Parts: sequence; structure tokens; C-alpha cells
Amino acid sequence: MTAPRLSARGITVRFGGVTALDDVDLDIPAASTVGLVGPNGAGKSTLFSVLSGLRRPDTGQVFLDGADITKATPQARARGGLARTFQHPELFSGLTVREHITLAYRLKHSPLRVWTDPLTAGGFRRPQAAERDRVDQLLVGLQLDPLADRTVSGLPLGSARVVEIARALAREPSVLLLDEASSGLDSRETEELAQVLRRVVAERGISVLMVEHDVDLVLRLSDYVCVLDFGVRIAHGTPAEIRADSVVRAAYLGEAVS
Amino acid sequence: MIPYILAGLALGAVYALAAAGLVVTYISTGVLNFAFGSMAFFLARLFYWLDTQQGWDTLPAALVTLGLAAPALSVVLYVLIFRHLRDRSTLIKIVATIGLSVALPPLANLLFGDEAIAAAPGLSPQPVPVYTVLGTSVPLDQLITYVILLVVVVAGTLVLRRTDIGLKIRAMVDSEALTRSMGVDTGRLAVGVWAVSGVLAGLAGVLIAPTAGLTLGSMTLLMAIAFAAVVAARLRSLPVAVGCALALGVITDVIQKWLPSDSTVTAAIVAGVPFAFMTVFLLYFLARGGAVGQEVAAGGALDRAIRVDTTDGPPPAASAAVRRGRPSAQFLLVLVVVVVLALLPALTTGYWLGLVAQACAIAVAFLSITLVTGEGGMIWLCQIGFAGAAAILAAQLATVAGLNPLLAVLLAAVAMAPVGVLVGALTIRLGELYVALVTLSLGLLAQTQIFTRDRFYQYGAGVTLERPGFFVQDRTFAYLAIAVFAVIAFLTINLRRSTTGLAISAVRWSEPAARTLGLDVLRTKAVLAGFAAFVAGLGGGLLALYNQAAVPDNFDTFTGLVWVAVLVTVGARSVLAAAGAAVMLALLPGVVATYLPSHWASLPPLLFGLGALGVAIHPEGVVVAQGRQLVGLLSRKRPDEPDPKPPTPVAPAPVGGVR
Repeated sequence: MTAPRLSARGITVRFGGVTALDDVDLDIPAASTVGLVGPNGAGKSTLFSVLSGLRRPDTGQVFLDGADITKATPQARARGGLARTFQHPELFSGLTVREHITLAYRLKHSPLRVWTDPLTAGGFRRPQAAERDRVDQLLVGLQLDPLADRTVSGLPLGSARVVEIARALAREPSVLLLDEASSGLDSRETEELAQVLRRVVAERGISVLMVEHDVDLVLRLSDYVCVLDFGVRIAHGTPAEIRADSVVRAAYLGEAVS
Repeated sequence: MIPYILAGLALGAVYALAAAGLVVTYISTGVLNFAFGSMAFFLARLFYWLDTQQGWDTLPAALVTLGLAAPALSVVLYVLIFRHLRDRSTLIKIVATIGLSVALPPLANLLFGDEAIAAAPGLSPQPVPVYTVLGTSVPLDQLITYVILLVVVVAGTLVLRRTDIGLKIRAMVDSEALTRSMGVDTGRLAVGVWAVSGVLAGLAGVLIAPTAGLTLGSMTLLMAIAFAAVVAARLRSLPVAVGCALALGVITDVIQKWLPSDSTVTAAIVAGVPFAFMTVFLLYFLARGGAVGQEVAAGGALDRAIRVDTTDGPPPAASAAVRRGRPSAQFLLVLVVVVVLALLPALTTGYWLGLVAQACAIAVAFLSITLVTGEGGMIWLCQIGFAGAAAILAAQLATVAGLNPLLAVLLAAVAMAPVGVLVGALTIRLGELYVALVTLSLGLLAQTQIFTRDRFYQYGAGVTLERPGFFVQDRTFAYLAIAVFAVIAFLTINLRRSTTGLAISAVRWSEPAARTLGLDVLRTKAVLAGFAAFVAGLGGGLLALYNQAAVPDNFDTFTGLVWVAVLVTVGARSVLAAAGAAVMLALLPGVVATYLPSHWASLPPLLFGLGALGVAIHPEGVVVAQGRQLVGLLSRKRPDEPDPKPPTPVAPAPVGGVR
């Protein structure tokens, strides 16, 4: 295991009297996929918001490429190379699929000139060739090109999730956090999603953390798996180790894994 | 002290009735009724008509007004309008009720006459008997007010806590869908709730009229003050709303004990009380909770799941930053409209030319609403306040500092930008309904604290702001305004197509996603707010130049509501619609005054109001929607035609604009 891209150390989060996360550690190495699984209420989503900066942990630290980002805003984390998707896709309803990707690309590659943009004629200039190429490449790569000029409102859930992933990838992150990317998808859509993720990791060397209900999918895709139960990490290791782990079987997986 | 408290309790009791009326319909049917003030005015006007003008006795007049007309009016409005609003976006809900608030007063004028009413009697016999309570003389009107509030609170509590209907209503407040799925006819419950709210509106109107006057202004103020109590109750808690309204009334009267009577300072402080109250509560909420939002009334998971994503219709295609060629028919149509609008000043003379010039100035101000609401999705009801403040400032700069009027207008508009940024920053953590309420109060605050100062008001005439030589003619002035409009319109379209425009849309539709994408929400909203305030200021300055004086009454907050209603009706996202809306707003009264008998003068506001109600059906804007149909006919392809292979939509539509 190389030095982790993103790691969490001793994360504890309490809601009133409930301890949602209790001293949890997590490492996401470079160019690998880590699965985070656990039953409902295990604290997966809470850990996820701590990593992406939408929630501060009560104790513990988060590191991105070795730098402590525990107190960094989501914006700063995004600039540092962290991107995420949402369990309920958070798309910009008024924008087209292409605009989602374009915006994310521009946020990565050119400083946003909010104060001067309104006063210059930049909006009427043609987009740069590099931008067009990259956006087209993402659209085609994720098979979104038929939907490119559609506004995203009313997109089916499967496509909406892919648009979220495309938007996150356009930001060229080093770590991609996927929140229940397969929930609500049928088996065909899930399979397509799995292919996309495999390609992303293989081609771009991106590290992926996936929070999932679909244990099968996680065990198939992940290099490492971390199992949470009642806010405690009860197991971590390779999929094979997790499959063999009696604690996990007893606590959670039951007969679901054959 | 006791006299102040007793008077304050009476005032607070009326506020409490209004606050209760606003909260019940909001929590049970999801509509915060901006037409409440107009309903109160309509019913109070009916009561005055029956009681004073038709010579009925007080009791039958009150029974007919409050027992018959009030519930009937409210129920009819519910069936015709409010019923359709439940699943609409906040903007549509607000605009529809604003439309109603614009349409009801002229309807009252048409039905009951529009003469000025000097003094309106309340529910007690005239002259009002005065009793001595706790060593203080208390008029019967006040006693009646106490008793009515007491009856309403006791009866309301009993019904809600002890009866089957109350249980069903409380269930409906939590989850309309779940309640309906259990076999409760929520439609009938909603009718009942609205009927009660109508009665409360009528009571509040009739009871406040003797002291505050039977005018639309006093009723709008009553509603705005009740909003402060409603905000304190986080829009939801009936007891807190009633308690806060009572406290507000008592505070308003008690502080007058220590203030000099009959002074402008006192008047200003008293007028500022509700706003201060609202501000204190919002700051408290923000300090405690981090953000004030989640104002979607229908709360359950089932309600969210079944809510159809029809809110704002398909956003117009114009926002495409990187879209390919559009059908030429649309371009042609736009070109025709632009040419016609540009030729209007050349083709008209005299009176009509004056109206056209006025329209050109208003069009600039409208662009500020296009920017802040159409682009940013922020429901700001104080754009007219920026316009008015800039007009007043420009007039001061020109008269006191002796600046060139055009330079004065420009500087005054620039001065509005930081104010806009400040308002944007202050309201950034608030949900959109709160933003609407706060900006409405801000507008009223500017109006009561600044616009009415003698120095600016000049007995209604305002401070002069003369047009510089070349622009004295209405025609040249109109072209000046058109030139300004063209520049701002260009900048608006440029903004929309630029990266910042995409960022603004991103922040508008999903703040969490925008933040995790690395966008600075505050900066994005601030720049839009500042730019919009600048544009509003320019429009206000031009309007003052048109009138050759900064007349504060032209920038009345209620007029601002008419602006919003007309603009959103025509189309909030198109710069052309802003021009069209301004032409309509300025010219329609002229057309009616010229070609129809004088008693039809109430028709234009009625039409504007009805038009705004139409957005409940065509949320994208009635005229824009029609324009699309036309373009579709011309290009033989409906622009909203679905893709050849339409993907099947998924039941829960979480991507929607239901926020």
C-alpha cells in the first residue's frame, strides 16, 4: 500500500447523545478503489460528509495528500482535488449536461472572474478548442453525448448519476467520492456504472471511495473494503478478506455473499 | 404605563389575528399568502360599504362581511388559485399571491367605489363608548378586539387539540400525502382552513381600519408586520406567531411612552420596530442553527417522493453557453420585436411618446429583476427600493452638489451596488421564502425611514432632477434610456453565457453541489446582487429624469410588487420580456384612460394581477410561453418537442427545482 491520497484518522461525530462515528480510520491509496459498506445507520453518510467537508468531526483529522484539511471548506477541498457525487443527485436543473461539464472544467482550468465577467464580452467568445475537446471526450466517454444539449431536469436517475460523475471528473480530481452511486439503478445501469468506474480508475489513476448498499458491487469493484457498524469500523481489508471475515458475516453480510 | 400596554395589546391582537391567518394556510397548504393584506383591505372595504355607505346596522354588516363574504372569498380563491400552487416553486407561489394582491384592490374599487375614506368605524356602535379599566379609559373597539382574539385562540386551541378535525389538520400539516392516503379528504380540510384564514383576514382588516385607516397601504403594512411575527415563529408555530404578534404590538406602543410625541424620529422608530424584531429573530436563528431554510411546508418523505417536478417548467433554451445554432424563426421574431420596440419613440408623439419614454426607463429597472430573480433565482422584493434610493440620491447629488444629472444618476446607481452586495450577503443563509419576506421588509423600511423624509419627499413632489439640454425632448430621452437598456441587456446576456453565469445557475440550483465543485456561493451571489442593485439604481435614476424629479411615491413598495408581478408574468428570464413588460406597464393605463370610460381606470392593475395569476399555469411566463408556441408554428417544430427516444423519467425526481 502506497501513501494514501485521502485518509481519515480517529474521526468521531456525535449527534446529541448518539455517537454516529467512533474513532474511525480510513485510508484511500492512490489509483485504487475503496468500498465503504455497512447497514443503515452505520455512519457511512456521516463519514462521507466529514470527508467532503460538509460536516466537521468532533475529533479526528482528515488528510489530503498528506496535508491536514480537517478545517478546510468544501471549496478548498475541491481545489485540492476532491470531488464527490450525491446520494440524491444534486444537479443544476437549469443547465444542460454539456454546461455541467463545461462549468466544472472551467473551474479547474481558469480562475473564475466573477467581478469582471459581467462587464466583458467573454460570454460571446467561442469556447477554447482544448475545452471543447475535453468536454466532448467526457461526453462520449460516459455515453452522455446524446443528452449533451438537454437540460438535466427530468433526466432518469441513472443518467443523472452519470452526469454527476462526469461533472466530478471534469474537475480532474485526484480523489472521487461516490455516495450510493448505484442506489435506485437497475442491474443494467449498475453494470454500466461499474464499467465507467473501472475505466476511470484504470485510465486516470483516480482514487475512488464508494459508499454502497450493494455489497456485491463493492466487493467486485474495490481493492479495499471498510465495514462500519454502529459508527465503529468492524473490519477492513481486501474483498477476499472481508468475505472470509466471520465478524462481518455475523454482523452484517449474513448469507448475502456466496 | 398601563394605557400603553392596553393599547399595545389591542394592536398586538390585530397583528396576532393576521399572523394566525398567515400561518394556518402556510403550514396546511404550503402557501404563504402575500395577498393577505389585500384580502383584509377588500373585506374591510366591503364592511365599510355595507355599514356606512349602505346604512346597514353594524351587526348584520359584520355578520355578512365576516361570516359570509370572508370565508366565501377565501374559499373561492383557494379553489381557483391556491389549490394549484401546492407543488409549485416558491417563486411561482409568491408571484401568484402577489398577483392576487394586485388584482383585489382594483376589484374592490370597481365594486365599492374608489373615494378616499377619512375615518372607518370598527365593530362598536358610533360614537365609540369608552369604559374605565384599571383606572384607564378603554374604548369599546379595543375591548372587542381583546375578546375576539381570546375567542379565536380558545376556539382554535380546542378545535386543533380536542377534535377529530383538529387531529386531521395536524396530520395534514405533517404530511399531506400520508394523511390523504389514510382516507382523509384533505381537499375539504384545506377549504376549511382557508375559510378560517379568510375570516381572520376580514377581522384583522375591520379591526385595524379605525386606527390605521382603511387604505391599501395600512393593510399592506399590517401584513408586513404580521410577517415579522411569522418569521419569528419560523413560519410554522401558531402559538409563537400569536405570542410574538402580541409582543410586537405591546413593544410598539410601550416605547412611545419614552419617545417625544408627534416627532418624525418617533414615527421612524415605531415604523422600524417590526423590522428590528424580524432581524433579531433571524440573527438568533442563524447564530443557533447555522442556516434558516427548509421552508417547504409539505414535510413528509411521501410528499417529496410524489411531488412532480413541474415547478418552473423547462428552463428556457437561451441559457445555453455552448449551444449550437437556433431556429432562424426565433431570431426573426426577436428581430421584429426589437425593431418595433426601437421604433416606438420615433412613431409616437405627445402623450404617447411620454408613456413610451417612461416605459424605456422602467425597462431598465425591470432588468434588475430579470437578473436577480430570473438568473439568480433569488426572490427579492426590494428592487424598487434600490431604484427609489438611487433616484433620491441622484436628485441630491444634482441639486446639492451641482453635478451633471446624468453623472449624478450614474454615481447614485454605482452607490447602490455595495448596498445590494450587503443585502445579498446578509440573506445568503436564508431560505428563499425568508429572503422574499426580508427584502419586502427592507423595501418598506427604506420607504418609511428614507423616502418619506421631508427633505426628499417635499410634500409628495420630490426633489427636482432636470434632464440635461439634449435630453429635454421625450424622444431623445427615450433613446437615451433605450441605449442604456441595450447596454445592460447586452451585459445581462453576456453574464448569462459566461462562466459566472453558469456558476450563478449552479449556485441557484444546488448549493451543496456548487460548493463541492469549488464555487464560492457568497461571492457568486454577491456579484449578481451588486450588479442587479446597480441596474435597479440606473432604472430609478432614469425614471426620475423622465419625471424631472425624484418622486418618492413612484417607488412605493407595493408598486414594486406590481413590477415583479408584471415582469414574471411576461417572462423573468428574457431581456426582451423585460422591455415588453415595461411597455405594457406604462402604456396599458394610457390605453384604458384614452379609449375606455373613466370608471375602467381600475382595469390595468386588475389585468396585471390576473396575468400574474396566470403564471400558476404557465410558470415560465405567459408571454414567453406563447412566443414559443408561435416560434414553434413558424419553424414547424415545437421547440419543446421531446427527443426521439425520450428516456423514462424516474418516479422521485430529486433533480428538480423544488426548493
